[in-house]
Amino acid sequence: MKEKIVSIGFVGIIFTFGFLSLVLKDKDISLVERRKLASVGTLKEDFNENLDKYLTDQFPLRDTFLTLNSAFNRYFLNNKDYNGVYLKDDYIFERLYPLDNKSINNFTNKINYIKEKYLKNNDCYYMIIPDKSYFLDSNKYLTIDYDYLYSYLDENINFSRIDIKNELKLDDYYKTDIHLKQKAYFKVIDKLSDYFKFNNKDISYTEKVYSDFKGASFYKVPFSKPEELIYLTNEILENVRVKHLEYKDNYVYKEDAFNSSDAYNVFLSGPSSLIEIINDNAYTDKELIIFRDSFGSSIAPLLVPFYKKITLVDLRYINMNLVNNYITFNNQDVLFLYSTLIVNNSFILKIN
Amino acid sequence: MVFSSISFLFFFLTLLFLSYFLVPKKYRNNVLLIFSLIFYYMGEKWYVFLLLLSCLVNYIIGLLLQKKRKKLYLIIGLVFDVGLLFYFKYTNFFLETFNNIFNFNLPMLKIILPLGISFFTFQNLSYLIDVYRKSVLPEKSFLRYATYITLFPQLVAGPIVRYQDVALELETRQESFELFSVGVKRFVIGLAKKVLIADTIYHVYTNILGFNMSALSYILVAICFTLQIYYDFSGYSDMAIGLGKMFGFNFKENFNYPLIASSITDFWRRWHISLSSFFKDYVYIPLGGNKCSKLLNIRNIFIVWALTGFWHGASWNFIMWGIYFFVFLILEKFTLKKYLKKNFIAYIYTFIIVVISFVIFSITDLNELFSFLKGMMGIGVPLYNKEVLYLLKNNLVILVIAFLGISPFLKNKINSLKKGKLEKVIEGGEIIFILGIFILVVASIVSSSFNPFIYFRF
Repeated sequence: MKEKIVSIGFVGIIFTFGFLSLVLKDKDISLVERRKLASVGTLKEDFNENLDKYLTDQFPLRDTFLTLNSAFNRYFLNNKDYNGVYLKDDYIFERLYPLDNKSINNFTNKINYIKEKYLKNNDCYYMIIPDKSYFLDSNKYLTIDYDYLYSYLDENINFSRIDIKNELKLDDYYKTDIHLKQKAYFKVIDKLSDYFKFNNKDISYTEKVYSDFKGASFYKVPFSKPEELIYLTNEILENVRVKHLEYKDNYVYKEDAFNSSDAYNVFLSGPSSLIEIINDNAYTDKELIIFRDSFGSSIAPLLVPFYKKITLVDLRYINMNLVNNYITFNNQDVLFLYSTLIVNNSFILKIN
Repeated sequence: MVFSSISFLFFFLTLLFLSYFLVPKKYRNNVLLIFSLIFYYMGEKWYVFLLLLSCLVNYIIGLLLQKKRKKLYLIIGLVFDVGLLFYFKYTNFFLETFNNIFNFNLPMLKIILPLGISFFTFQNLSYLIDVYRKSVLPEKSFLRYATYITLFPQLVAGPIVRYQDVALELETRQESFELFSVGVKRFVIGLAKKVLIADTIYHVYTNILGFNMSALSYILVAICFTLQIYYDFSGYSDMAIGLGKMFGFNFKENFNYPLIASSITDFWRRWHISLSSFFKDYVYIPLGGNKCSKLLNIRNIFIVWALTGFWHGASWNFIMWGIYFFVFLILEKFTLKKYLKKNFIAYIYTFIIVVISFVIFSITDLNELFSFLKGMMGIGVPLYNKEVLYLLKNNLVILVIAFLGISPFLKNKINSLKKGKLEKVIEGGEIIFILGIFILVVASIVSSSFNPFIYFRF
């Protein structure tokens, strides 16, 4: 009897999943991995080579199997950085280790190069937002030496850093995403107003809440819980003009993003090489240029009241040589706003 | 095609089970042959014709070996088989060595190594020699011979199955629920060894190699090399044996807990048994074995171990690996044997020698190899660092499981419990365990795009 159960169980599993693979409709994208899944079309390119990629991508109950595997590794094998993330008190931390000295050196050289070549007459500062691992106990987890990183930058970048790391707390970050919550940027703006000398007067906002936010790290840990994403708006923001270099879109907050694989794209429609936000009702004529990564998307709306025009440049998607064709550098305020994640992976910045 | 893939598990096996068990018995070898050729074609494309050519030539020579001038036919057969292996596996190695020694610049040939050529060549060789020695009759049916050589469970990574061990089963065999169930269990255990242990340990050591190294890091990586190769290869042999049983074949065991051997001599009685017995029966004994002078005996052992190393790969590190074992086997044979009883020191001595051997085995670049060995001895690196302590702690569970699995302790414990009052509970638990492990393996395969079998290189 035992023999029959084992044999029938095994054959039953392979027959059932084999059959389901054939009859179930293929999916286009994986929300879990935020990527396009291999389609049947790839088999035409090279059947033998792509067959397993296609079958694995389209396997029935794929997401459940991914969760099961993740749970097995994290909870049974006790691998606390499985999938490259740590979990502590419901916070998911992307592991940033080891410190890449070449990358840091490259970052400082590139920033200095931009300053010297394009921004001689501009009021320039840089700000490095620590990733969440900054708040982990370095005796229990592998974390980079943040003190060394910041002191290296201070010694080698030819203009001043606005220090924010001591103002931030872990709960300023989303639990399931790498980014800061938008409200946390009020602390940043307080700092910026001192350096760029704008009048940080109280502006009132209306809070809008999206309660099913699953950040970029959400699916890397099994059984994660969705959290709230709060974004702030007001009459000023509803009347600004937003221009993207690559596509037409006029949203400060694109709520359609909540139906996509990355709800964080609600801020300025997500990744974009060059964005201009024009506020015709600003109380000054000042302009601001932010060289930034994705952290810049959610601070920019809160700076709108203080500037007539804000230009966001993401050098991961456009080369600095080309930026020069779209921006005339004169006396704008300039902020380099990056996270430690980019500083340690700076070769993705396109600066020749 | 690899066993730990969705295409194999859910499509190839499904279609094979349906075709195999639905056709009358007399056509079952044909079904196995067709599916084995598809299996090989999916990985190697048109080399499948090379495989068939090799079957055909050896089949014909096998028949000719019954006629006069059989020595000549044997030589033709051996030259063909060894020539094929030499051309595909060793030509570029010799060209490169020739260039290095004589400062020539002969161009390398664009040769892609056909999967499993070392295994199917050795099966062909053993068949021809056995027929020549009259220890087995030549196979009359080409279809049966081709089925034997191409049989997919053992085609690309062994074990090296001898014709005489399966000749009877090729002609008539009895499939049963019981044998099928034993096969399923063995196959699933093999899959788990490969996917859940070997691949996880691979990630452990690639992680370590990504950080600053210390002596402890190097030692841990060396232990991981050993565990990964053991679980990968013995897992593959388990899968091959298990699949064989599902279709009524009984292949011989290829591993017998080699990592708890009490000497290097003992290790080679337990590791890749089908290869060591091949060299013993077809090289060592014909050379005179130990029935000769001490000096000739040492020569015979040297030849066997240089060849064993060279069989594993066309690279100097593999030859060094073989000679490394030769040195310890000679030492044990003539001096150490009396000290190596089954005690703790003997186990530790063997384990250390084996771990170092797999460093030599795993690193093909000689400069890199010597720098790694220096690192293991703590030369130029700290004894330990925070990275290795963290990774050791973080991967402790998989390492403990891997160490528990190198001995028969758990298996024996379960078997003894089966004999007691808990028999029913244990047997019920075994069913859940096997099917549960299979689901976990599928989850891991779905989650991972990395899956090459290490032994495909050889």
